Amino acid sequence: MTFPTPKFLRGFRAILYKEFITIVRDRTTLFFMFFPPLLQIIAFGFALDNDVKHMAMAVYNEDRTTESRQLVDAFVNTQTFRVVKEVDSLAELEALVRQGKAYVGLQIPPDFTRKLRAGQKADVQVLIDGSSSTIALQALNTALGVAFQQSVNILLGETSRRELPIEVRAQVLYNPSMRAPNFFVPGVIGTALQIATMFAAAMSIVRERERGTLENLFVSPMSRWGLMLGKLVPYLCISMMMALFLFTILRWVFFVPIHGSLVMLFLSAFLYIFALISLGLLASTKAQSQNEALQVTLAIMLPSIFFSGFIFPRETMPWIFYAVGAMLPATYFIELMRAIILRGAGFLEFWRNLLVLAVMGAALFSLCALRFKRKIG
Amino acid sequence: MIQCDNLTKRFGDFTAVDHVSFSVQKRSIFGFLGPNGSGKSTVIRMLCGILEPSDGVGRIAGHDVSGETDAIKGKLGYMSQKFSLYDELTVNENLLFYARLYGIHGEAMKTRRDELIALAHLGPYVDRRAALLSGGWKQRLAMACALVHKPSVLFLDEPTAGIDPVARRELWDLLFELSSTGMTLFVTTHYMDEAERCSHVGYIYMSKLIVCGAPHELKKLPAVNPPGTRRLEVACDHVTLGLRATRPLGGVRAATVFGQSMHLLVEETLPEESIRETLLAVGIHKVEIRTIAPSLEDVFVALTAQYAGAP
Repeated sequence: MTFPTPKFLRGFRAILYKEFITIVRDRTTLFFMFFPPLLQIIAFGFALDNDVKHMAMAVYNEDRTTESRQLVDAFVNTQTFRVVKEVDSLAELEALVRQGKAYVGLQIPPDFTRKLRAGQKADVQVLIDGSSSTIALQALNTALGVAFQQSVNILLGETSRRELPIEVRAQVLYNPSMRAPNFFVPGVIGTALQIATMFAAAMSIVRERERGTLENLFVSPMSRWGLMLGKLVPYLCISMMMALFLFTILRWVFFVPIHGSLVMLFLSAFLYIFALISLGLLASTKAQSQNEALQVTLAIMLPSIFFSGFIFPRETMPWIFYAVGAMLPATYFIELMRAIILRGAGFLEFWRNLLVLAVMGAALFSLCALRFKRKIG
Repeated sequence: MIQCDNLTKRFGDFTAVDHVSFSVQKRSIFGFLGPNGSGKSTVIRMLCGILEPSDGVGRIAGHDVSGETDAIKGKLGYMSQKFSLYDELTVNENLLFYARLYGIHGEAMKTRRDELIALAHLGPYVDRRAALLSGGWKQRLAMACALVHKPSVLFLDEPTAGIDPVARRELWDLLFELSSTGMTLFVTTHYMDEAERCSHVGYIYMSKLIVCGAPHELKKLPAVNPPGTRRLEVACDHVTLGLRATRPLGGVRAATVFGQSMHLLVEETLPEESIRETLLAVGIHKVEIRTIAPSLEDVFVALTAQYAGAP
């Protein structure tokens, strides 16, 4: 039983057959395709948590009254702080912060309660380690909040009012508990898919160049579209399996609820992977060695960590970085992931991103098939 | 079958192949010789249509190798210098891969595979991964893969480099078998004994083709046998010592060591006795001298010396 192969696809079935066997048998490549993304999603999912809880606080309470202890409790009750040590001098308090043993030092002066009772202004000093701006900012905001809340309570007690004049009732949509994994993990899938697929695709051609098998392919009647499609399809399959694997981790390890349609989720992944593999194959048409292939893929990887909106919001970036982000497939995919997973957005709300990814993939793929010459040098 | 007309390849300032012209008849075994880096592989790559010539024309069965690449692809088989096999694939899978690559599918593919396994005697290794084959078997497999589409010309770039003598002989037996079926073979090699077995040889040196012809014709070239000279084989102990002693002797034109003996190109007037006396003077007693015909190696040594000496 033979099927005639169209001229422009000559060699496609041969390459397809060979690539599938090679991928399955080459354990090293499989390992390097699956392990780094797994590591990345686990590391980012657990570690990239920017709501800081229970930061170490040292207390120098010179007052030692019920009121002063209530203030310390108020700090601890925010869950932002935990008391690691009570000290007996300001010098000791400063030393603990300097040594990094406490992020925050709370000093309550001896006249705290007396001044409160007398209706005077009571000062409390808070030392904050500013070397990590995220932590410092949160410590500062929480400390101010505690002081403000305490002051308001005292003032309310002195007046006839029972409630605050204005109360904000904030409702956080789509990620109500403001869990960091919900925000980061969908993005991590974008970057995790990126390294493995792009690099593996680039390597598959560069390796043939290094081994000399590419020369034999050139001598054969194989067409360049046949070669490129033969490389694309197997890696697309493997990468879709990886996407499934990562979505599983997202849902069942990090418990990020998926609000949108699964079909859309996989369609996005498919188009994204198509663009990535095409990019990898394009890199391989230029790269002569595995080292060069690695460098090219890293050169695309790094900007997509910073400029894709994965960590830093793109809206606040200078226009140049914003523009760089607009050229990266990761940017569109990460937007899609957050829209579909967190907001449950529908097709009409994000079809533009799908279109951009599809166009990018098709353009890159055509470019690499057209650029690829069946000659040496 | 193969024709080169002033075939030239330049890489920047370096000319790798310099106006090389020759032709290879159908059914012949053409041995292409020359030192490393002299341009052998470059010529093959140009003839296979994977390297664009800078100048000149190469033809396979009348088709221009740079313009009509599609026409020549079905006609030629190419076995490159490295073993171009897929290590992860078994012998069987490598053959099936190359068959599919050349558009052979289904039953025809299996039949062809079986034929090639029989031809290259690969039977016992069918399910072994290519990576685990020894050099000689890898070479047979690579050759079987290059033959999958029944090419009429087969290019082999140093097929016997780095394989053991037995495997080398078996490979040559296979080449003769192919040649007897009407295939044209183009083989590069470093081995002179292999060159002797070719129906025609070409010698490329410093990017230029110096000589081309049948081995027995080359041995009769005047440049190899200057008038009034003869070639002697002098078997003796301490060959290097003997070589040093005989070189300055009047009437000795060239002296080279071949194993346990020297090959001397001497003027006919030089008596054998004076060679014996010279050797005795340096303490070499046992000496056997006989007249010999030039070997191919003598041919290439003579031509290289002549070429290097020419302005």
